[in-house]
Amino acid sequence: MKPAAATGEVVVARYGELWLKGKNRHLFEERLRANARAALGGIARTRIERVQGGLVFAPEEPPDGHKRELVARRLQEVFGFSSISPARVARPEPDEIALVAGEVLAAALEERPRASPIRFRVETRRSDKTFPMISTELDRFVADRILGPHHERLKVDLSHPELVLGIHVHADQAWIFAERLPGAGGLPVGTVGRVAVLLSGGIDSPVAAWMSMKRGCEIVSVSFHSYPYVGASFLQKVERIVRRLARWQGPSVLYGVPFAEAQTAIRDRTREDYRTVLYRRMMQRIAAELAGREQATALVTGESLGQVASQTLENLTAIGAASTLPVLRPLIGFDKEETIALARRIGTYELSIEPEPDCCTVFLPRRPVIRGRIDVCEDEEAQLDVDALVTQAVAGAERKSIEPA
Amino acid sequence: MEIDLDNAATTPIEPEVRSAMLPYLEQHFGNPSSRHPPGLLAAKALEQARATIARALGAGPEDVVFTSGGTEANNLAVLGLARARKRHGRHVLVGPTEHPSVREAAAALENEGFEVETLPLDATGGLDVERSAAALRPDTVLLALMLVNNEFGTVYPVARVARLARANAPSAWIHVDAIQALGKVPVSLAELGVSSLSLTAHKVHGPKGSGALVLAEGVRPLPLLLGGGQERGLRSGTENVAGIVGLARAVALAVQSQREAARSMHRLRSLLCEELSRWRGARVLDPGGKDAVSPAIAAVQLPGPPAEVWMHHLERRGIYTSAGSACHAKKRSVSSALLVLGLDAQEALHVLRFSFSRHTREEELRRALEVLKEVESELSARR
Repeated sequence: MKPAAATGEVVVARYGELWLKGKNRHLFEERLRANARAALGGIARTRIERVQGGLVFAPEEPPDGHKRELVARRLQEVFGFSSISPARVARPEPDEIALVAGEVLAAALEERPRASPIRFRVETRRSDKTFPMISTELDRFVADRILGPHHERLKVDLSHPELVLGIHVHADQAWIFAERLPGAGGLPVGTVGRVAVLLSGGIDSPVAAWMSMKRGCEIVSVSFHSYPYVGASFLQKVERIVRRLARWQGPSVLYGVPFAEAQTAIRDRTREDYRTVLYRRMMQRIAAELAGREQATALVTGESLGQVASQTLENLTAIGAASTLPVLRPLIGFDKEETIALARRIGTYELSIEPEPDCCTVFLPRRPVIRGRIDVCEDEEAQLDVDALVTQAVAGAERKSIEPA
Repeated sequence: MEIDLDNAATTPIEPEVRSAMLPYLEQHFGNPSSRHPPGLLAAKALEQARATIARALGAGPEDVVFTSGGTEANNLAVLGLARARKRHGRHVLVGPTEHPSVREAAAALENEGFEVETLPLDATGGLDVERSAAALRPDTVLLALMLVNNEFGTVYPVARVARLARANAPSAWIHVDAIQALGKVPVSLAELGVSSLSLTAHKVHGPKGSGALVLAEGVRPLPLLLGGGQERGLRSGTENVAGIVGLARAVALAVQSQREAARSMHRLRSLLCEELSRWRGARVLDPGGKDAVSPAIAAVQLPGPPAEVWMHHLERRGIYTSAGSACHAKKRSVSSALLVLGLDAQEALHVLRFSFSRHTREEELRRALEVLKEVESELSARR
């Protein structure tokens, strides 16, 4: 293997369950590499190398700890990595390794409280088995060399360490690190397929979008607006949400679909208590149509079971029945609190709670049906020219490509 | 065709104002505090602007403090004047429907130990002058009352209240927010008999980000911004020279054209009221009576869907208005001034504001009325 970095600083990102994928593995690896490169665009020019169980990112710049931190943090937003470590590089010789390990340890200790002794261990892995020491020997060798100046702050504890100094020894170099940042997990975006997400601007649907990206789907977003019953600024809000979500997949397509015509038709010609279910059936049809254009093969919604009146088992069934594509509901078993916690973590919560009326607030029925029936929906829809309304909405849809931010 | 009937929100820059500003954006970039020729030139422009504004508003030239706009001018007046008067008392009175930049500043004073009281309304929705007089006290140090309300155009009897205050609250400084009044009704510091007056350029065809607090002789607020001591120490920060030049020109034009502008806007307002008087369920709000209203603003309670829906339907046809209260997905934000008038939250959601400028033409209003009728039939056909 070539030297990974002239600078002596790299970021090691380890695969998650990706390596399980047998024969398709190289496709996953390639996609992950491309996604990671896209995520790092604009931050640092980095060389990416494949090593066993992961990728190594070497910023092509003079040593710069700050840049390395930035790279590590961006990689935490790439699905497919289980953990990430900013690491120092040393020549694969015990003395050199111990020297660099001492510096890494000193830096790590600076960031920790001085109150009580920190439980500590060294943990070596060798992919180069010709190295003159076995792993446990190197553990002890390094620990003996570096503990001295810090013996008051450290207490060796092999089974419950708080601070692990990791050493990976390869044929031509070794990496030394004190941090293991959690990766985003999941599968590389785009390796599983493409889905169309019905994005409302609320708290739930962005989380559903994120969860489908996490499982390897590339998303296309479809958002419905009731202009001129609500303001055109609604779409700007949805754009901000998509821009945020695009951090996990790169440029992302958003369709803004005019929905006022369909809504007024439903309001004027069908029974009031079924309005919400009928709106949503109409949305599924339109979204499925747009999904087809984008080669997306499933719909994703933010629905979860029983959270609001429209989300009873009966209503979910009646709504889903209108889609020609399978409907995925990643939040189906979530409590609202769980969804909110996740929305905060991925940064869409703040965007979602901005007050902005959406199409769901227009012409709401006073008493929405709780147990909607498909046959009733179909009877009511016989009063409408469903195909024409779908065609009209699809024709009026605006397609945008949103860059990540 | 676009027709702007939302001039109480902002106005486009008058060409003459723009040309007055341009030299200070291009060649004359000096810092007025610098003592070399470019700096002196900028300082001279400031002093000219000061004199122009003072002359137009009946004040002394040394009594104009330039600010970043109306909010800062109101904040400086409310916070700065009350704090400066603290040793004379802690009682503050504010008008019933003040702009948030006055209301919120007054609320902040409460945390500093001031007692803040709101002046009462009478049965018509106008200011109850008698009960207001009764609220004045020897320890009242500040009274803040707007001249023209920004949401429904009521003109408050500032001069009368100021007279009463001078008699019954001798320690009080009187601040008038004249932001929506300038160019629509007569505005003069001397004639109103007040201590300070706030204004902003962009409501009168000037640039955004430029305003002023005009002070009567001897009135001195404690500053909010500290630093290099510009504006006689009342407002530190390098002056926005081009903005100030634009403000002065815009103010001069607004004052010059006020009488004629009022007449033409009054005509537009009457046409609108006349049309709406024929509508079932429509009502023009005129709290305080038909005579006490700015010719530039007509707040209308419309039938059918919320005002926001009307606004978007009109906007799609190029006609811009404002729905002050909006219904949002989860929360309804209702204008507190409308609630003070006695409207309930439902009614407040149905209030649409039309506001004119001296440049709004009668044919534009007539066209807007046509469109309004179209929207009405579209919205009612569907109910």
